[in-house]
Amino acid sequence: MALTTHTTPSGFLLPSIHSAPPFFTEQPNPTTQSIATEQWIRLILTYARHRKLFILRVEDAEAAESDWAEILRNERINRKMTPGHLCNIMVAMADKNLAIYEPPKQKRSILVYWRLPEEWAEVLYEWVVDSGQLNTIMTFYEITDPLVESALTNIPVPLLRKAIGILGKTGRAQMIAIADGEGVRFLAKSK
Amino acid sequence: MRRGVGLAAFDRQEQSKRSFAELSSELSRSQVENLHSQLDQFRTALAHFATTHRESIKNDPSFRHEFQQMCSSIGVDPLAGPRKGGWWAELLGLGDWQYELGVQIVDVCVTTRERNGGLIEMSELVRLVSKLRGVGGGSITEDDVVRSIKTLQPLGAGYQVVEIDGCKMVRSVVKALDEDQTVILAVAREEGGRVVEDQLIQRKGWTRDRARAALENMLIRDGLCWLDTQDEWVGRAYWVPSAMNWEI
Repeated sequence: MALTTHTTPSGFLLPSIHSAPPFFTEQPNPTTQSIATEQWIRLILTYARHRKLFILRVEDAEAAESDWAEILRNERINRKMTPGHLCNIMVAMADKNLAIYEPPKQKRSILVYWRLPEEWAEVLYEWVVDSGQLNTIMTFYEITDPLVESALTNIPVPLLRKAIGILGKTGRAQMIAIADGEGVRFLAKSK
Repeated sequence: MRRGVGLAAFDRQEQSKRSFAELSSELSRSQVENLHSQLDQFRTALAHFATTHRESIKNDPSFRHEFQQMCSSIGVDPLAGPRKGGWWAELLGLGDWQYELGVQIVDVCVTTRERNGGLIEMSELVRLVSKLRGVGGGSITEDDVVRSIKTLQPLGAGYQVVEIDGCKMVRSVVKALDEDQTVILAVAREEGGRVVEDQLIQRKGWTRDRARAALENMLIRDGLCWLDTQDEWVGRAYWVPSAMNWEI
């Protein structure tokens, strides 16, 4: 039996390690386990980017119709990730700042950083400039659900808030209180 | 014939002894000179050979093999260090070539170590080293790898070629594989990497305790295999990455 790469129905290329049965078991040897965890983290981040998924929950390990099923299970070899195993990987991701707990103060659900907040800040700013929305006041909703789909479509508000915060530090964005909640104004780069 | 007695006889004897000694030292001097000139000729011939065939030696694996065979049959080690025959390696630049290959072998062994636990199949190693060298590097053979590993020995890094069930493997961890582990690796190779206790009990006549201890040691102590607790038949299977058929 050769361990091969595989293209999923959603067009994602699974690495060959995904067809290795022991990949779906937590390894008792700590060195081996850290290697496996690193492989899993890489897989989760690339898949999240491919499908534009933001939230990963422990429950995703159990639901066959979960958005993450293509990577969390492998029907071809009849293996699946266990919830406990997934939970440990999620903790490792949060420890490495590749995700944050969302909502905070629990460990069963994370917001996956397939782009770091700093990268999101640049993507956001670029989109604002390109769509000619500098200096206008925008609501969060206008960013997360724009008329024309953008790279920011569906971005979770906590992540958006972080990105705006980063732009704020370089004087490129300003939070503004508006009638029905919060808004933001983007400013031209100062020199 | 009457032999001379008295003092004159001593003189005569001394004299003939001296002239014999002179003659013999002259003879040996000429022999040494002769040898020197022969050696010089040999050197020139070798140097000529080395310079004309340098490129073929570096680039053509079969030529290189023949050349090394020839060298070992006449008792010349082309790779001998500076202490003996260093000029030879110098002429060919083969020493550097071999050390460079050694570095590439170490590179591959170290980068794949986390995947295979420090045990790599020879053919896989040759493939990965060739890939690393790129097209311009010229092809290399198992023979070259074995030689390079020998040059690595003084470093004490523990690189070793081991033969498991007729298959050559290169070990890059300083861990002695005990006999049981060797048997397990052989079983794993037949099964595409998967080993379970029952195989060892049925095929090798081991007791369950022995099988379990050997497998658990490989798993937990040595990190040479991975655990699969979702195995359909026995629930707990061990997988040896170096024996699995990876596509890439």
